[in-house]
Amino acid sequence: MSLDYVKFSTGFEKFMPKEYRDMVEHGPFGRKVSVSQMGTFKEILEEHPMCAGCAMTLFIRLAMISFPNPEDTITVGTAGCGRLAISQAAIPFVYGNYGDQNGVASGLSRGLRLRFGDKPKDVVVMVGDGGMADIGFSGTLHSWFRKEKFATIMLDNEVYGNTGGQESGMTNKGAVLKMAPLGKKFEKMDMVSMAKVAGCAYVATVVPNNPRRVESVIKKAVLIAREVGPTYIQAYTSCNIEYAIPTDKVMEDAKNVENDRYQFSEYITDEAKQYLSERYGYKEFLPKPAAAAAIPQA
Amino acid sequence: MYLVANISVEICAATSCRLCTQFCPEANTILYNNEAGKEKGYKYGSAYVAVDRCKGCAQCVWVCDNMAKHHAIKMVMIDQLPNAAITDNVTYGEKSTTAQLASPVIG
Repeated sequence: MSLDYVKFSTGFEKFMPKEYRDMVEHGPFGRKVSVSQMGTFKEILEEHPMCAGCAMTLFIRLAMISFPNPEDTITVGTAGCGRLAISQAAIPFVYGNYGDQNGVASGLSRGLRLRFGDKPKDVVVMVGDGGMADIGFSGTLHSWFRKEKFATIMLDNEVYGNTGGQESGMTNKGAVLKMAPLGKKFEKMDMVSMAKVAGCAYVATVVPNNPRRVESVIKKAVLIAREVGPTYIQAYTSCNIEYAIPTDKVMEDAKNVENDRYQFSEYITDEAKQYLSERYGYKEFLPKPAAAAAIPQA
Repeated sequence: MYLVANISVEICAATSCRLCTQFCPEANTILYNNEAGKEKGYKYGSAYVAVDRCKGCAQCVWVCDNMAKHHAIKMVMIDQLPNAAITDNVTYGEKSTTAQLASPVIG
């Protein structure tokens, strides 16, 4: 949980694999990187077993680059496709039992605050729609109602992709899937509204076809979760296998879905706006200067 | 044999877009060399693919054709590539990477 944990033990440099040496010497630890520099530095994420063309992997890759302090970040996940990539990164990953990720993250976040005091240590939960909206639903909502300070990110592929295509609460009404041949009978769950009702300080929906926007919302969510309260990001990360999207059309699908039902939305409380502007210099949230008094007409 | 992405330096180095590096689902697969085009007299550097990590999804081809509209990336059978970059031959610098190009097929 500091810059020291990625460094070599003295005398072992020459025995380390090339990827590891690149990570220590040219990784994002201890310096600022952004999506516009992608391809010129060694990323936290390594090779992973996710399917070719997976939009979820792209989102995870962008998220890993967007963490404000990767050396002080722990990710928490659960069963699902996402953990196959999240666990292949050079930051600690905690694998919860199915559905208990927000409970694990609550304890972790509180423990880190006790141990490290004011030094920010970020906990980021990244799980799929099944792990969060179905099986981990009560744990997720409870952590928000308790105002646990960590970021929660839903990788919403609208299906149980890892187990063959069962419907989840986040599947759209009427969708016919391999393991849901009659079509889904009820509407997609509105987790965004629930997050707002439960008291999240920042709620956003994104689609990974805009990397800069993904970077921006993840940075804000992690920073706000340090002191203000729980934050929630819902990302559309299509499953090209279960929804039979040709791999080269994944971004076209993301664009269509964004225009159709997954428009970018951002909800931020006044307290969070003030925190971001005062602590981290977010100019867009600075209080607007009072309007000048109208000149009286002669 | 299988398909991997191949980026035309001549087209890529004429622009500064870098979009493909931001849309590849694989980490450190589409890399960027600031000097690749300048050596050949172009204004900018060029992206290139570490072919041992490319899974052949062609997402970069769609992004280059439809978002950037440069048509610089094509899918090529790996044994049809005389020279390509692989991860072991990539060197990271301060703000750029370079790769020693060699035949990607052993034997």
